[in-house]
Amino acid sequence: MIGSTSLELNGLSVRFGGLQALDQLSFSLQQGEIFGLIGPNGAGKTTLFNVITGLTAATSGEVRWQGKTTAGLRPDQLCNLGIARTFQNLRVFSDLSCIDNLQIAMGCNDRRTALELLAIMDLQEKGTHIAGSLAYGEQRRLELVRALATKPQLLLLDEPAAGMNPVEKQKLQVLLNTIRKQFQLTILIIEHHVPLMMKLCDRLAVLNFGRCIAIGSPQEVQEDPLVIEAYLGRGA
Amino acid sequence: MFDISLFVLMLLGALLALAVYLPLRAGQLSLATPGFYTIGGTVAALLSTTVPELGGNEQTYPLTSVFLELMLAIPLVALLAFLIGKPVLKLKGIYLAIATIALVEILRVVLLSSPWFGAAVGIFAIPQPFEGPEGYAAAFAVLLGITAWGCQRLETEPLGREMAAIRNDELAARCMGVNSERVKLIAFVLSAIIAAAAGVLAAHFFNSWSARQASFDASITTLAFVVLGGSRTWLGPVIGGLVLTALPELLRPIGDLRLIVFGLVILLGPIFIPQGLIQQKRS
Ligand SMILES: Nc1ncnc2c1ncn2[C@@H]1O[C@H](COP(=O)(O)OP(=O)(O)OP(=O)(O)O)[C@@H](O)[C@H]1O
Ligand SMILES: [Mg+2]
Repeated sequence: MIGSTSLELNGLSVRFGGLQALDQLSFSLQQGEIFGLIGPNGAGKTTLFNVITGLTAATSGEVRWQGKTTAGLRPDQLCNLGIARTFQNLRVFSDLSCIDNLQIAMGCNDRRTALELLAIMDLQEKGTHIAGSLAYGEQRRLELVRALATKPQLLLLDEPAAGMNPVEKQKLQVLLNTIRKQFQLTILIIEHHVPLMMKLCDRLAVLNFGRCIAIGSPQEVQEDPLVIEAYLGRGA
Repeated sequence: MFDISLFVLMLLGALLALAVYLPLRAGQLSLATPGFYTIGGTVAALLSTTVPELGGNEQTYPLTSVFLELMLAIPLVALLAFLIGKPVLKLKGIYLAIATIALVEILRVVLLSSPWFGAAVGIFAIPQPFEGPEGYAAAFAVLLGITAWGCQRLETEPLGREMAAIRNDELAARCMGVNSERVKLIAFVLSAIIAAAAGVLAAHFFNSWSARQASFDASITTLAFVVLGGSRTWLGPVIGGLVLTALPELLRPIGDLRLIVFGLVILLGPIFIPQGLIQQKRS
């Protein structure tokens, strides 16, 4: 199956009043790849995630998932179809235990699987802890494994390395490569930390003012003059 | 001396508190409980006073007839709650609270203005299935027991966990596969069923029934039960309902100041005991 199209954007646009948040995006993800999304603040990266997960409706164009349009599907339906995500500003269920967090995502009472999943993130000792009481880095990992608990085929990560130190970023890179293989995931990742993205991603797309200004391998994108001007040129 | 009638009222308070608690567990502040309670009571009052066949041959009203009333009131109210809940639960926070208050108000006016439901005077001489308050205490205790058991079970079931997730972060819950619309609707319908069942028993216990049951006071009173007791676990509302029903009776000299007591509880409760009296154990 590797190499076939999983997610496809067809002329996708989103308008918020006078603001063109996404402008005619058209590209597709190959099954099994790690696809990076970079771009300056306000470029529309999170908005794209919101459209893919059914939180925001497209103004025109469409998202196709496994060959079918996702228009009109609710977030929970898209989740059940295999699309899971994390959030830029952490959204774990902070009043609930880590095990509860996972059981909600799994939709069942399977405590053993929940603990096994926590172990992947080195959180096995925190099972009964209230999520809100965990350290920031732990909450980030909990949110990641909560997304995994929905058994996704496509994982959307919105700035997973935000607030992490270099050691943690290194670990995250290893971890993402591991879970991609273990769970046969396609990963779409937003991240500002360019060196990490260069190492991690098979392909990158660069957004600027809602438009895709470059797409290709990390090398190709890095050398693209438009990108250097819009993004990398600014001291990154 | 222990007053059994007061005990019956306390059990009724606990039941209504659980009815307020269920939607709240899913983060929905619905004040419709007295409305569904009133409908349950009205069904019981109408049936038992107008259908002679239900009366039986004994001195007391047959329990099987009370059971029949329940079997009629519960599906009726469940259907109504489903139809109302679908649109109304799209509202969030305080807007939902206001809309549900309005619904109860509409119901009250409808009942008040229709002679069918006894209009302003209400329905009188509702027959008694029990000879004294002891029987009612037992009946309410059974109903409360079943309801509390169900709520307790809910806490460890996927549905209960989904409710907690919605309350914690609805958007995240939806993205994790929780059909929040469905879960909120289930909570709302279950809440209506509890209130209606309590209403059926209450109509017999009070002997008369009128639109006055569906008052704004009642909405606030039942809310106070949950605010005082806490809404994290089922035990909170039960304790809140028991205590706050008993309190004004024990403080009878203050008379109508009772509403002020409830007001103060609602005002000061969240400030001093934000999670209510009964808090969830945390690790
Ligand atoms: N619901 C909304 N209503 C109105 N405007 C919005 C909404 N969501 C996002 N925007 C605007 O759309 C633009 C794109 O926002 P978005 O969050 O997608 O950017 P981003 O690329 O994720 O930026 P960042 O790197 O800061 O996270 C911004 O100008 C933002 O203010
Ligand atoms: Mg963003």
